[in-house]
Amino acid sequence: MAVRNTIHRWGAVSQLLHWLIVVLIVVQVTLGTWAADLPAGSKKLGLLARHKSVGITILVLVTLRLLWRWANPTPALPPTLKTWEQKVARVTHVLLYLLLFAQPLSGWMMSSARGFPVSWFGFFQLPDLVPKSKPLYEALLTTHGLLAWVLYAVVALHVAAALKHHFMLRDDVLRRMLPFTSTPGRKP
Amino acid sequence: MTACTRGTFLALTFVAAVCLGQAARSADAAAPAHYVLDQGKSSLTFSFVQAGAQNQGHFARFPVTLDFSPDNPAAGHLEVSVEMGSLDSGDKERDDTLRGDDLFAVTKFPQAHFSATQFVKTASGFEAVGKLTIRGVTRDARVPFAFRTASENGATVGYMTGKTSIKRLDYGVGQGDWKSTEQVGNDVGVTFALRLTGH
Repeated sequence: MAVRNTIHRWGAVSQLLHWLIVVLIVVQVTLGTWAADLPAGSKKLGLLARHKSVGITILVLVTLRLLWRWANPTPALPPTLKTWEQKVARVTHVLLYLLLFAQPLSGWMMSSARGFPVSWFGFFQLPDLVPKSKPLYEALLTTHGLLAWVLYAVVALHVAAALKHHFMLRDDVLRRMLPFTSTPGRKP
Repeated sequence: MTACTRGTFLALTFVAAVCLGQAARSADAAAPAHYVLDQGKSSLTFSFVQAGAQNQGHFARFPVTLDFSPDNPAAGHLEVSVEMGSLDSGDKERDDTLRGDDLFAVTKFPQAHFSATQFVKTASGFEAVGKLTIRGVTRDARVPFAFRTASENGATVGYMTGKTSIKRLDYGVGQGDWKSTEQVGNDVGVTFALRLTGH
């Protein structure tokens, strides 16, 4: 598999970043929802510390991913798509990128507003993004929770579309993001 | 008694009284001055690592009495009582947790104490050697500090500043899950800046 993208297929770097972020989002949702149900205590503190560290990791990975995307060709959408379908696909992808930035940033700001600085796995402490403020913390807490639901909805749409392409339209849209697969007839 | 001898007697009494008075005053100079805390212009803060990040809080009430003279530190005596319930870490939920049974247990141990009767002069200032009691556990502690006096509006004021570090688990601050130092570090920094007014 090529390291760089082609107009037909995602390269190794894009695939690695895509699937790594998928795994980390699953970890994030697990840690976040688990911690939210716990009473204040050492366990909650530990889960939230990891949640914050993983969130910062995603923020870095999505930044790298966008940079890599700009420096590489982007595989083209299948020509069989109608114009509105192409538009929906583009909007979905833009929303996914936006949410992958907005979620870690809203979480980070929320920690700053609460007055609990963020550390990346205990290795280093990040600066506070906003001053300490209770109303701001509460607004960001609500935002962070709402954005999570928006993310679930957009991810559901993204997954449904990928599965539709693979099983119903039988094109290579899903396969070109999967390692160890070939994209027949599309080899450059 | 003649008028002359009476005059001499009075003069001698006067001289004796003056001498005694001066003796008393020089005894005062040797004795350490007595100070009490100016709470409004003093601070006692603590810092700790929570989830890998530096956090801090302070106590609002911590009465102090100090007998101290920089010229004669050996005669010093320091008593500090920290009202543990007056802690403020900037977060209500965290304050409640800190006051709770697993951490400071303020209902059972409302005060922490530091009592020092031994003072040593060091290269950079002084060191108070005494006993620190937190959560009912007493341990030896040495607290370095700097001391200076100033005259403000005719009154003598003492400024005592310093910082030290203690291990919270030495005093049982952290029971149950909080015994772990993974989320909250064992080392706690303590910084003080006290304004003490002469009495």
